[in-house]
Amino acid sequence: MYRSQKLALRYFAAAITLFGVMTAAGLLSALYYLEPTLLYNVFDFQMAKILHINTLVIWLLMGFIGAVYWFLPKELGREVEGIALAEVLFWVFCAAVAVVAAVFVFVQYGGSNQFSMWFINQGRKYVEAPRWAALGIVVVVLTFVYNVTMTAWRARRMTGILWVLILDLIPLTVLYLDAFPQITNMSQDLYWWWWLVHMWVEATWEVLIGCLMAWSLMELMGTSRRIVEAWLYIEVMLVLGTGILGLGHHYFWIGTPSYWLGIGGFFSALEPLPLLGMVVHAVYDAGTHRMQTSNRPAFYWVLAEAFGNFIGAGIWGFMMTLPQINLYSHGTQWTVSHGHFAFWGAYGCGVIAIVYLVLQQTRGATAFDSRAWKWSFALLNLGILGMVGGLLVSGITQAFYGVAQGGATLQAFVVASENHWFQSGMYARFAFGVLFALGYLALAYDLLSIGRRARVAAPAQVSAA
Amino acid sequence: MHADLFATALLLGLFVAAGGAYGILFAAAMLRGSAALRRGASACYALQLLLAFTVCAASPLALPWKLFLAASAAAYGCIPPMIWRLLEAMHGHGGAGKHTRPS
Repeated sequence: MYRSQKLALRYFAAAITLFGVMTAAGLLSALYYLEPTLLYNVFDFQMAKILHINTLVIWLLMGFIGAVYWFLPKELGREVEGIALAEVLFWVFCAAVAVVAAVFVFVQYGGSNQFSMWFINQGRKYVEAPRWAALGIVVVVLTFVYNVTMTAWRARRMTGILWVLILDLIPLTVLYLDAFPQITNMSQDLYWWWWLVHMWVEATWEVLIGCLMAWSLMELMGTSRRIVEAWLYIEVMLVLGTGILGLGHHYFWIGTPSYWLGIGGFFSALEPLPLLGMVVHAVYDAGTHRMQTSNRPAFYWVLAEAFGNFIGAGIWGFMMTLPQINLYSHGTQWTVSHGHFAFWGAYGCGVIAIVYLVLQQTRGATAFDSRAWKWSFALLNLGILGMVGGLLVSGITQAFYGVAQGGATLQAFVVASENHWFQSGMYARFAFGVLFALGYLALAYDLLSIGRRARVAAPAQVSAA
Repeated sequence: MHADLFATALLLGLFVAAGGAYGILFAAAMLRGSAALRRGASACYALQLLLAFTVCAASPLALPWKLFLAASAAAYGCIPPMIWRLLEAMHGHGGAGKHTRPS
């Protein structure tokens, strides 16, 4: 095993741990809606939410980085360049995440001054990590870019997947710099901030997970490189064609010119079309393999990714993306419902699939199956379905009573929050959140145990014979 | 007016869901060579067209969005067969031996 693959395993362990922190913080966030005075002035809702969203970003990012460190040496047949630096930075990254989380939990916030920005909270939604940590993320990502590009350079070899990956890493890095500006005009600030949030999620991350899925499908199903690369090019073309200007759906109500209503609505409404193609492809692959594979967990999680992406991003997104409807739905739990489903489908399932794929190889198990993975698969997916269903009911109630009828005043917000439909949705969200958390526990147990017993059993059988 | 818009939102969600069901059933029909699945796929697409027509005829959406939806409904009809042909061409036509068009 290459050193970079050992590093990949560490990244996966950190990612799955943070997935757990994200789940716990999410469950706590859901509980505040049922008990608004919970931990009042001790650990308020906004801190739980910050922890929930930031750990979401970091666990997925760590999963992606780990996956690249796993596949890259196999792709090029050599150790990753600068691996020693990458190993050191992994621990720096983990330590920084732990320190930032501790600051969020114990310090929480400070005054409106430079000290707070540098050491407590940068104050920018979804990228709240204080500035020193944000700079640390830049260093980690730059090292990662160096590792990938220099490995390809030294190997004197490029593949289609690597070209796409390296070209994608440039905007991935540059866009993160949008976490830093201090623009006092809120419209301008949000304008650039969405470049980071949207372009990462609906452009650069989509391409990155496309590259990772291409490698995964080659290993999982033995799909030829020619086919996965052709599909990768098509995906890049379609995702970027719809995703980049789909950015406009975030510009509807932040003080930008009104032409964004048309541009954003049109391009984001196109986004389900490539996802439909992906679903057809998933059925084709599943049918060709007759649902038979040596790694059922990875296979099912890959399928879940294709379907989850279509439903979460496609169906849930299309419901609320046209400006006339978005006028009422934005900023409500309706959006939260879409966000949860889309993230889970597009990225969460993909990272879990890759972890299973890698574990089968590291544990040397030929038949990779267990009962726990089925429980985790069922509980996690049932949990997310129930959560987004509950959030949808609450969100539509908020949009109707709070925004459309009430005029988006504070009073209307309170009235909508007291509506029994809103509250029922929130109870459902919490209950299914508990199921999701149980699914996480089953997943963690399975990742620790799957394939191990088979490996231990094999020599025993040999000696018995 | 507000209630109409919320109904429209749900219809739009169903519109994409019907398109997805059409894609899945179409692919399954091609895999198994099943005429019943093919009919199910056609029914889903017919439902999608009906939803598009309902939104175009009865919703308060602006005209450009209705035109977009009509074009989009046509695109949904083409994508699964187009993708299927592309898949077969890439994987080698009839290579798996079982991807036959249902009678």
